[in-house]
Amino acid sequence: MNRRYFLSSLAAAPMLYSAGEPILIRNAKILTVTKGRVDGSLLIRDGKIAEIGANVLAPAGAMIVDAGGGFLMPGIVDCHAHIGSDATNEGSISVSSMVKIEDVLAPDDIQIYRGLAAGVTTSNVLHGSANTIGGQCTVVKMRWGKAATQMIMAGAKPGIKFALGENVKRAGGGTNFSATARYPATRMGVEDVVREAFNDARAYQRQRDEYQTRLAKGERVLPPRRDLKLEPLVEVLEGKRLVHAHCYRSDEILMLLRAAEEYGFKIRTLQHGLEAYKVAKEIAKHGAGVSTFADSWSYKIEAYDAIPYNAALCMKAGVLTSLNTDAPVTQQRHLLQDAAKTQRYGQLTDDEALSLVTINPARQLMIEDRVGSLEVGKEADIVFTDKHPLSMYAKVQKVFVDGEEYFDREKDIRDRAERETRRKALAEKLKPPPPPAQKKGAR
Amino acid sequence: MRSPNFLVFMILAASLQAENFAIRGVTIHPVSAPDVPNAVLVVTGDRIADMGPKAAIPKGYKIIEGKGLHVYPGMIDSASILGLSEIGSVRETQDISELGDFNPQLRTIIAINPGSEHIAVTRASGITSSVVVPSGGFIGGQASVVHLDGWTWEEMAVEKSVAMQMRLPSIEAGFGGRGGGRGFGAARRPFAEVKRRYEEQMQQVRLFFEQARAYQMRKANPVLGFKPDLRLEAMIPVLEGKKPLMIVAEKERAIRDALAFADREKVKIVLAGAREVDPFLEELAKKNIPVVLPDLYQVPMEEDASIDEPLDIPAKLAKAGVKFAFGSYNIERPRNLPFQAANAVANGLSYDLALKALTLHAAEIWGIADRLGSIEKGKFADFILTDGDPLETKTQIKRMWILGNPVSLENRHTKLYEQYKKRL
Amino acid sequence: MTRHLVLSAMLASGVWAQPAGTAVIAIRDARIHSASGPVLAKGTILVRNGLIEAVGEKVVIPPEAWVLDGTGLNVYPGLIDPLSTWGLPTAAVGGRPAQAPAPGPTPTTPAQLEQRIQTLDDGGPEERPSNTSWVRAADLLDPKSAALVSARNAGYTTAVGFPMTNVFAGQGSAYNLAGARAGQMVVGDPVGQMVTLPARGFGGGFPGSLMGILSYVRQIYIDADYYKAAQAQYAQNPVGLPRPAYDRALDGVIASPRLLLPASRLAEIDRMLRFGKEMKQPLVLYGGTEAFRGAALLAAAKVPMLVNLRWPERERDLDPFIKEPLRTLETRDLAPSGPAELVKAGVKFAFYSGGVERPADLRKAVKKAIDAGLSKEEALKGLTLYPAQIFGLDNRLGSIEVGKIANLTIMDGDLFDEKSKLKFTLIDGSKYEPAPEVAPATPESTR
Repeated sequence: MNRRYFLSSLAAAPMLYSAGEPILIRNAKILTVTKGRVDGSLLIRDGKIAEIGANVLAPAGAMIVDAGGGFLMPGIVDCHAHIGSDATNEGSISVSSMVKIEDVLAPDDIQIYRGLAAGVTTSNVLHGSANTIGGQCTVVKMRWGKAATQMIMAGAKPGIKFALGENVKRAGGGTNFSATARYPATRMGVEDVVREAFNDARAYQRQRDEYQTRLAKGERVLPPRRDLKLEPLVEVLEGKRLVHAHCYRSDEILMLLRAAEEYGFKIRTLQHGLEAYKVAKEIAKHGAGVSTFADSWSYKIEAYDAIPYNAALCMKAGVLTSLNTDAPVTQQRHLLQDAAKTQRYGQLTDDEALSLVTINPARQLMIEDRVGSLEVGKEADIVFTDKHPLSMYAKVQKVFVDGEEYFDREKDIRDRAERETRRKALAEKLKPPPPPAQKKGAR
Repeated sequence: MRSPNFLVFMILAASLQAENFAIRGVTIHPVSAPDVPNAVLVVTGDRIADMGPKAAIPKGYKIIEGKGLHVYPGMIDSASILGLSEIGSVRETQDISELGDFNPQLRTIIAINPGSEHIAVTRASGITSSVVVPSGGFIGGQASVVHLDGWTWEEMAVEKSVAMQMRLPSIEAGFGGRGGGRGFGAARRPFAEVKRRYEEQMQQVRLFFEQARAYQMRKANPVLGFKPDLRLEAMIPVLEGKKPLMIVAEKERAIRDALAFADREKVKIVLAGAREVDPFLEELAKKNIPVVLPDLYQVPMEEDASIDEPLDIPAKLAKAGVKFAFGSYNIERPRNLPFQAANAVANGLSYDLALKALTLHAAEIWGIADRLGSIEKGKFADFILTDGDPLETKTQIKRMWILGNPVSLENRHTKLYEQYKKRL
Repeated sequence: MTRHLVLSAMLASGVWAQPAGTAVIAIRDARIHSASGPVLAKGTILVRNGLIEAVGEKVVIPPEAWVLDGTGLNVYPGLIDPLSTWGLPTAAVGGRPAQAPAPGPTPTTPAQLEQRIQTLDDGGPEERPSNTSWVRAADLLDPKSAALVSARNAGYTTAVGFPMTNVFAGQGSAYNLAGARAGQMVVGDPVGQMVTLPARGFGGGFPGSLMGILSYVRQIYIDADYYKAAQAQYAQNPVGLPRPAYDRALDGVIASPRLLLPASRLAEIDRMLRFGKEMKQPLVLYGGTEAFRGAALLAAAKVPMLVNLRWPERERDLDPFIKEPLRTLETRDLAPSGPAELVKAGVKFAFYSGGVERPADLRKAVKKAIDAGLSKEEALKGLTLYPAQIFGLDNRLGSIEVGKIANLTIMDGDLFDEKSKLKFTLIDGSKYEPAPEVAPATPESTR
């Protein structure tokens, strides 16, 4: 599909291979990630992986794609991105759980196409880290050209963003005062915000239960006012909403685990968690996952003890670990290469390294039954690279999402000249006419 | 002061503390010549003494077995702030940009912190030298070349002053960052005003160079009471063509201005950070102007830019015959320099030229190729021992030598790794 | 004598050019574009007491009528600006949101610091920040505003004015553009609740982001429903029940018959249609730059679109070297074709003054849409009948039909011909000739 912004309302630009006919990709080295490598073919039918094997027969009417001996791997899942949305932070208050990324999805963000071109097929689009309890996040499939509702991965468990540490404390004053100092200014206060919020959420929960009881008794009662801020927090308490918490230092990581335990819920993932390796034991015991950077460090004080061995150590401790980009902070274009770095730092095997950006983040988002590996029955999110994806020399050639081809490198290259021609022509056409010679006295 | 005389060193070698040694059975990648499999590398003192399949190992030399391993020249980071910055968000740790527009007298060499954690961290990827570059104003100061090893900056120094950093005024800067930027509700300055300011600033730069030339003449014929002006003094090597100007210019207009400036002022330049190179490929090649590539880990500049930008720039320059080297430009990822090179190879650059851009060509650009940049007799013994291609992540950098001294590849990160491994 | 002086004063102001006591006016032998039927090549309109009494080829003109010769003239329904700030004070319609915390001196003592700590209980939707939903444009209307003169000179007779400050800016009112007192000018009130997206960024308090604003609107509507239910229950029998709090912010929202939301990009049109549906409010979208892309969506949702007549153009003072993105250029090229696409898709649309500073430039802007494919008939409707229909005023305004208010625009040529000039307008049956304008001190609109 070419990189064309959708000109009509909802009709997607014509796909190279429409979702209708089966597609057989053959002559490929198939890296399933969970079930080893298969040299052969992969059959896509009705948007799902129908068969993988050394000798797969092409059904009648199937489109044949020859992979030329290249590699297939599962579509990459980026567990932490800030792309495709018209807003990232509601940082005016410390608890902004009422806001939703879903409300502000921007499917026309070019970063979606760029991530797709790098093999990312699913992104967890998060609220930023401006405050302790942020907004509700959305998992999207990178279906470039489709409308916002068609990008949302329907059925993915809802999530919410928390943040700890320096970013959150920044508005609390310190050396640069703003007109108002927003609580909290210390890590101590950050814990307080979390506990206060869940204290309120519990009270709200009780209010609702009380209402049901009194209503059953026939009393004249109104249901409690729906509080959009507390509702998602109650969902967290009830295990219906996943918590993704931005954090750095080992002490704040531990603090959050214990706070969650106090209120009877689990932290789903520790995002960035650059010091997670120091408390990997505790994280494993709690059951949280870690979604971290490959080798970023030293840009903030809390990132000074970050090490590129973090992912390897966490994995070793039995923590469900993934690598993310925090796009656009780092680029989705290099996410595969980030995974490859764990082979230098930590000497992970090929499958371990690949799992950091495929099946592991899928598990963290609880969508592993659908994506994250190449297995029969899963959604056909497939990336095709010319060389082994963990080679620094590899380039993504094609990307399928739900069995439809959304990116083709050759087509992208062909389109570049055409787009430039069109752009130049339009720029020329729309050029304002040169101003007429000024006459004296004219306005 | 290092003596360039190789023979003198051979004689002095015995009195130096560095152990003489040889590696055998190893594949040597000289970079300046074809690869030599199953070879011997002999190091005497701080220099490469001999190399080849049949090189003799002098008596008393320590022997290191290199079967299945590879020797590559140590890599050179041609645009670094190593030692000038520790933690990006903490101002107290930054020594990169001084106040003021014209500071040619400032020197990075004396501000490099030999205790920076970043030195050992960066080394672990195979980088043995960095060109440490200041910024700030229009003339930021003098860049230096250092080895990533030494108790003091003096010991680290390879070239105390190798180039003069410069950034010409630009329209984009007048708008605040990239010209199309939109401030949140802020009124944008009118183009006419920005253009006028740009022209004023360009005039200031030209005047400064005039002042420098005038000073150069005065100095040649000093009158009674002549007092050296440190700032203008620092300009003399540039005016004499002995030291290049490292002009940072990313966008088309800035590059055009830099080339025109070089022509008019008749100075040697190295272009750094150039991204919109397409209109200038022929000119750069013809005038032999080398380029320090931009940080390839940047996002494409325009919404309509190709998804491969800027990764495809090295291939373009190579095709046109322009010499270039890689630079990191920041303190977060200098260790990823070889991976920048790998990305360039994935986007059309030949492996050979990629490796050269990390080593020999970088040395040539900075005029230090007599001592660094390849495995050749008489050059510094700056090299790494790996189990494969250092541009691939699967490869482990096993050992490193700088000036013939074995240098530890341990660093803050490996230490924390070992420490917390025990806790698992 | 006095009456003569008063009259000449009025004539001098060029505002009102009508002999005293003329309650009956006839415009004879004019070309009549009713906007609700075929063009009448030669017809007569009879106006009595501010209403249209008769329209047709063979209208009998009573003897008491003041007859105006319409030979060679084109008569149109008075033009309507469906999202306007004409006649409203600039302070209320633009500038800083009412509740932004004012930046003050740096606190240096603990006492000072204590005063300005934002605690966990501060901020948030409960405090109703950026909310003046109860404010009515009708209450802000100034009949002496210079903007009304410019608007009339451009052929406009009615505007639907809205306060524009704050997220919940307030209630719009439809009013004619001339009258001695504001109350006499108002035709319909309230006609809708205006929601804007003020750029507040960090430090401006909640809501600071688009997400925040949308969640805030959502909470307000939830609270409004709750408020209604609580008040109803309390009114029935207050004994034993907690007292619902007084909250005028909700009163303003409950009273509104429809909700106005901004949407320019396709993604925004899609977003606001879904959001408006969730709010269960009759919706009107305004902006419409990419209406040419969103026509099918609007048609499916049956939501009308107010199209800003300020077509996208290259930013002033943009660095001429900058290469603008293809998408920006495409939008700029195709935006004027939006109205034609909307008509094709069956979407109700109307033109509004938006970012166009001078009403005199509005006709030219409409012409761009005609050049891009909109028929003249539809263009006229987009200035008259459709805005009236969108705001439920079409039983009284928007076309030349018997019984409707006598708001008429009379041109010496075709409305969409640049060379044509306005002869006069009728507003509530009173005649107004074009008057010399006072240059506005500040731009009238900031959209």
